[in-house]
This record gives sequence, C-alpha cells and structure tokens, in this order.
Amino acid sequence: MSELIEIRNLVKIFPPNVIALNDVSVYFHEGEIHALIGENGAGKSTLMKILYGMQPADSGQILINGKTVQFANPGEAIAARIGMVHQEILLINEYTVWENVVLGMEPVGLFHRIDRDKARQQVRTKIDEFQFNLDPDARVADLSVAARQKVEILKLLFRNVSILILDEPTAVLTPQEIPQLFDELRRLRDDGHTILFISHHLDEVIELSDRITVLRKGQKVATIDTKDVTEKMLAEMMVGREVIFDKIKDGIPPGVAVLDCQNISLRSPITNKMLLQNISFQVHASEIVGIAGVEGNGQLELVEVMMGLRAADQGSLKINGSDLSGSSILERRKFMAFVSQDRSRMGACLTASIKENVIMTHHKLNSAFTKSAGFILDFAHAASFAEQIRKTFDVQLNSIEDEMRSLSGGNQQKVILGRELSLDAPFVLLDQPTRGLDVGSIEYVHHQIIQMSHDNRAILLISADLEELFRITDRILVLHRGEIVADLVTDDTNITEVGYLMLEGADHA
Amino acid sequence: MRNFIINLAGILIAFLLGAIVMLFQHYNPVETYGALFGYSLENMYSFMTVLKNAVPLVLTGLSASVAFASGPVNLGQPGQLLIGALFATIGGLYVDLPAPLMIPFLILLSMLGGAIWSGLAGLMKQFFNMDEYITTLMLNMIADLLTFWAISFPLFEKKANHPQTPRIFRSGWMPKIGDFNTSVIVMLLAFAVVWFIFYRTVSGYEWRISGKNSLFARLGGVQIEKNYMRVMLLTGALAGLSGGLIIMAGPHRFIKGLGANYAWDGIMVSMVANNAIVGTLLYGIFFSILQTGSLGMELVTQVPSELVTVLQAVIVLVVVASRGYFDMILKQILTRRKMKERTS
Repeated sequence: MSELIEIRNLVKIFPPNVIALNDVSVYFHEGEIHALIGENGAGKSTLMKILYGMQPADSGQILINGKTVQFANPGEAIAARIGMVHQEILLINEYTVWENVVLGMEPVGLFHRIDRDKARQQVRTKIDEFQFNLDPDARVADLSVAARQKVEILKLLFRNVSILILDEPTAVLTPQEIPQLFDELRRLRDDGHTILFISHHLDEVIELSDRITVLRKGQKVATIDTKDVTEKMLAEMMVGREVIFDKIKDGIPPGVAVLDCQNISLRSPITNKMLLQNISFQVHASEIVGIAGVEGNGQLELVEVMMGLRAADQGSLKINGSDLSGSSILERRKFMAFVSQDRSRMGACLTASIKENVIMTHHKLNSAFTKSAGFILDFAHAASFAEQIRKTFDVQLNSIEDEMRSLSGGNQQKVILGRELSLDAPFVLLDQPTRGLDVGSIEYVHHQIIQMSHDNRAILLISADLEELFRITDRILVLHRGEIVADLVTDDTNITEVGYLMLEGADHA
Repeated sequence: MRNFIINLAGILIAFLLGAIVMLFQHYNPVETYGALFGYSLENMYSFMTVLKNAVPLVLTGLSASVAFASGPVNLGQPGQLLIGALFATIGGLYVDLPAPLMIPFLILLSMLGGAIWSGLAGLMKQFFNMDEYITTLMLNMIADLLTFWAISFPLFEKKANHPQTPRIFRSGWMPKIGDFNTSVIVMLLAFAVVWFIFYRTVSGYEWRISGKNSLFARLGGVQIEKNYMRVMLLTGALAGLSGGLIIMAGPHRFIKGLGANYAWDGIMVSMVANNAIVGTLLYGIFFSILQTGSLGMELVTQVPSELVTVLQAVIVLVVVASRGYFDMILKQILTRRKMKERTS
C-alpha cells in the first residue's frame, strides 16, 4: 500500500484563542478505511474540512500522491477525486434520485436540453456497479434517511471520487441500518476506494476500520492498526490521562426529591427515530447525579425538553412538586439554573457586554434589577452585580463593559456560572460545563459544583467525560441511544463498567 | 472611537471615488464639492432646509435600525410611511381642533396608521408563520396603490389636474420659527425616546440581546413572540410618523408620489449606520446634506444631481465593506499572534 494522502504539520487557529489543530500530521493509505476519533472539539471535523477545501489552513501542507495541493473550495477537491458526505443530508427532496445525482453535471443534448434517458441510464449503471439497491426514479422525499445517505455517496461516486470522507455517518441511522452501510463501505474499499470516517462510537470504529487516528484537543495522539487495539485503549487515548483527578464529592446524605422526570419520550419528526425513550429519574437535594453517554445519544434532546425548547411527546417534569411539563421557559427558569455546553449560542451573547450577559434572566425574576415597575433597567445595580460576580468567581477581565467574546473560554464559563448560580434555583442543570476549558478552570468549576451541592441544591450533570463524573457525582445514569440503560451508585461502580455501558448499552453489561 | 475612524475613512474614500468619476466626466471635483456643501451649509436657511429634509430620513432610518438590530426584518417603511401620511391627511381634512391639540392628534394618528400597517405583517407572522420581510414588502405595494386610489377618488381635490387631496386645516400645519420647521423638534424627541427605549428599558435590553443571539435570549426567559410584536408596532409607528410629518411640515396635503424615496433611503441610512441609533441620526443628517446640496450643485456647476445618488451608494458600499475588512484584518492579526505564541 502506498501513501495516498500526506498531511504535514497542519495548524488551524480560530481567533481569538482556539487552536483547533496544533501541528497535526497524518498519512492515509490507498484503499483503506481510516477512522478519525476524538472528543468533540478534538479537531476531527476541522481536519477533514481543510482536506476538503472548506476551510484554509493557517500553516502546514497537504500532499496527494506526493504532490502538494491546496483546495480553495470543495469543487476543486472533487476534481481531485476527494468527496465528503456531511452529517446533514443535503439533497433536494422534490427531485428524484437520478436528478439529484446528475445535478450540476447533467448530460445535455440538442439546444442544451437535459438528456433525461441518458442521465437516468448513467445513474442506473452506477447504482448497479456499486450494488446500491436504489430506485433512480424514486423521489428523495419518499426515501428513508439511510437511503438518502446512499444517494449522497452515489452522488460523489458519480463524480468519480476515489477518496470518500464521511462525517459521523451513523449518527442519523437507526441501529438496524448501520450494518448495511458498513457492508457498502467495505465493498467500496475492496473496489479500491479510500474511506476516511469520523465517529464517536468506538465499537463501530473497531468493527469497520483498518487503521485509526486518535485526536485530542487539536493534537494527534496516535495512528494505529485497528487489529492492535481494544475499545478500552482507544477510550484512554481519546480522553487522555495527564491529569488524574481524585474524587472530591463528599457523601452528604441526599435530601428530598427536587427534580422528578417521568416517562419522557421524544420521537424525531423527520426520521421517526426514537430520540428519548421513557426517561424517568429523580434528583434529590444535595445530590449530584451524572448522565454519562457518548455524545449524540439523546443528551441534547434531553436538555431541550427539560429547558422547554422542545415539547416531549409524552412524560412529565416536576420540580419541588410543581408540574412544569407544559410551562414556558420563563416559568421553568424560576426553578432551574442552566449551564449549557455551547457558550456561544446558548450560554452567552458574545457580542454583548459582560454586564449585559450577567443580568439575563435576573432581569425577569428579581425586581432589584429594574426600576419604575419593571420597565427600566437599573444599570447601577447591574454593574454592582457584575462586579460582585467578578469578585466571587474570580473572573479575569478588564472591564465589565467589554464584550463577552474578549474573555477566554474559562472566564466566560465563570461569568455564566456566576449568573446561573446567583439565580438561587433549587435545581441546576449542567450540560458539559467544563467542555473546552483548561485544567485549572475545570478544577475551579468542579469545586463550584460541589459548593452548590452543599447549598442543598439538586444537580444534574451531563458529561461525556467519565473522570469528571467519577470525581464529583453521587449517582451515574447511563444514556445509550435515547434510553437510560443503567442507574449506578458512583462508589459501587468503576470507569470500565460505565464506559462499557456507554458504548454498548445494557445488553453487554 | 474605532467606529468613528472606520466611518470617516469610508466617507473620505467614497468622496475620492466620486472625484474620480467627476474627472472622467471633465468636471472639477473641488468646485463641485464646494457647490454641494456650500448650498446645504453656507447659511442658516440652507441648514434649516437640511434639517427639515432629514426628518423623514432619520425617522425611517430609526425604524429600520430598531427593527434590524432586534431581529425582525421590517422592510415595510415605504408602506408604513404612506399609510401614516394618509391617516394624518384624513385627520387633517375632517377634524379641526385648536393647534395645541391638533398637532399631537395628527402625530398620534400617523403613528397609529404606520403601526397598523406593520402590525398586520406581525399578525401574519403570528398566525400563519409568514416571514415579515416578504409580507412587509408586499404591503408596501398595497399601501402604494391604496393611497393612490384614496387621493384619486374619495379624497381628490376637485379641479386639481393630478391626484392630490385638498390642504389640511391650518391648525394641523407644523409651525415655523423663522426658517426653522418644528417637525425637526418632533424628530429629535422621537430620537430621544427611541434611544431611551433601546438602551435603558427592559424591553430594549431584550430586543438588543434577541437581535444578537435569540436562542440565548429565549433560554434566558425572554418572550420572543411578544417582543417581536412590540418591535413591529414601534418601528411601524416611527415610519408612520415620518409620513405624517411630511404632510404637516411640507405640502400640507397628500400629493401623488409623496415621500417616494425617503423610506428606502432611510433603510440605506440604517445599513450604513450598522443599525446604531446615534449613527442613524448622524448619517440621516449627513445624507440630507448631500441630497439638499445636490440641487445647488446642479445650479452652480454642470454636474447632474444624480451624481449624489452615486455618491450615496458608494458611501454605503465603502463603509460597509471597510467594516467587514477591518474585522478580517483583526482576525488575521490575532491568528498570527496565536501562531507565534504556539511556536514559542
């Protein structure tokens, strides 16, 4: 096997202070299935987007067959026979399969009319060649998600792509559809295609790939032959072991049940896949309950349902006995503090000032923030409140009038934590609160969470980071494909068991 | 300060480009610019005219700025202006009150007209989920033809040789103090009120944050739908007010083609001001200087007044482009700094 693609010393920076790729070098062989794994933010997608010409690199080189290339856009990448299938399916629903496939390179006849028969015939030939089991005349709107994904792949094959990049191809599929995709990918490889695929699911990676590259925080950890590794080894490489955290959660006895979720279910209106299935659990005062799971197993949906962004198909949510199942977000916020994993979209308004960021929600719930019967903002109070958060949470900032985006990620998170914890809500929902933070900030956030539990609050911590869960939780619930497959007391279990449940579900426990 | 420099640089570059266009046409740029600014700024009378002409530009500009900065894409200023003008005209034709009552009455009536027109678009969003940027644009055309019909038939002034209404009662005319038209005071008051709402009230805070990041605002407990309707009503009222003031300050009647381009120019003002409230006021006055001066330029030199339209367009393009370009350069500098940090 020869080196088909050489990526050398790639660096990509997202200003002001994110290094998405830090000196990454990887080689891809011809005719292999190569998996890219890593936590969110590890740099997998960025690496593939640069290869596909969607983003420019800040430094480094890409060589294909020994020649340096630099694609300005995906079109150039496709001309060089590299194609990418994105997570979201980008087809025209009203068009048929063959129309979608030939779009942009239609065979034309006299007067530039599309030669429909020829186009259909060409597409049919490709379908037969790759044994794709698709009807070229079917409307895309009538197809299942798995079939649409096949159309996407077919589209690239029709353009004679020999290197296929797939970004989390299994994320949109039901478990029953996955083996078929894998069979097709194997067949493509055996035909001489090279396949690069991004995944979170270690079991899939081990089943399908020939080699694996592990990325962590923008750096390459290793490239290894799949036959030499186990899931456990991969998990360790992904998470990293530089920092060994000791458990710091003390066993104060939990109080009364604060949060009570019963039978929450949610079905995707588009794919009909069950996103959440009969989720029931309670969180007690002073208790920290963790939700473990590989990302994409229902965490986002659970957060959306709990916060009221999305209505569940069934189920109830109560806090301190008040039924909030149908309540507005504002009503929920009287009982819930919320720290999201997505600081730029959910947690903060980066282009507003720090002061304007900290008063959000408070301005609705606490009359001290307003004057004249709630019409006018009390900026003096807002400023002193912001200064107080700066002091209590040790935020490094120049001025509370500066834009939120001028702060580092860790300091942004401190501002958000400060805002949410000052709400005095009995229940706190934390969605990956330490994501993208440096070690020092993680330490700080963990201590704040412990402090909250001392204040008698009930805390739900959603995290993909097992060490974090074992360090600060009392109980761990494992979420796998939208279901809670285990409810474990943290002291009575171990990382290996939870890791296994996360990846394999309850069947393999 | 940074903003000020970017804007100033943009304007200067635009003037340079304008000068090049003039040179190509064998006009003298210095003389032309002299005539342009001379005509609008050389004495008190001309400056008063500039201020009076700025009223509809600033008010429709504020309407667009508040809407765009809060989220809703209200592009209905032309229609809302016309309906506001129509309401003020009807009020002024059929009601005669003493001036101290009449003027506030007509002002409120014109604001009501504009708010009804934008509120319609708001309701269509609420009930049928129709995008306001389409419905407001379509309502512009309906307003255009509706007012044309109104001044051609029911409100038509007998014996007039083109569609127009009779004059409104004299008590509804905006008083003049020397050359100073008091509609400018109304504009400045409206500006102050809008500034206060936008930067000091709870609603304004919620609008600004929703305009920048609506998901964050929603999760923070902001009622997006309620605020949406309020923004639509306020911005419609502002555009309606500008229509009412045109009637009350100027021809005192609804003439065909009234306020033809003011509202679109106002939207342009809000864009070049990047939806900032103070910036909208300043750019509104600045564009009024150009437009007012264009007449003088045509009288004194041979340069056609259309050149000012070109100049305005170039200013918008250059200022908006330099804003984006400045951000790009800033990003590049930050990236380079981080690269160095990484290697050291």
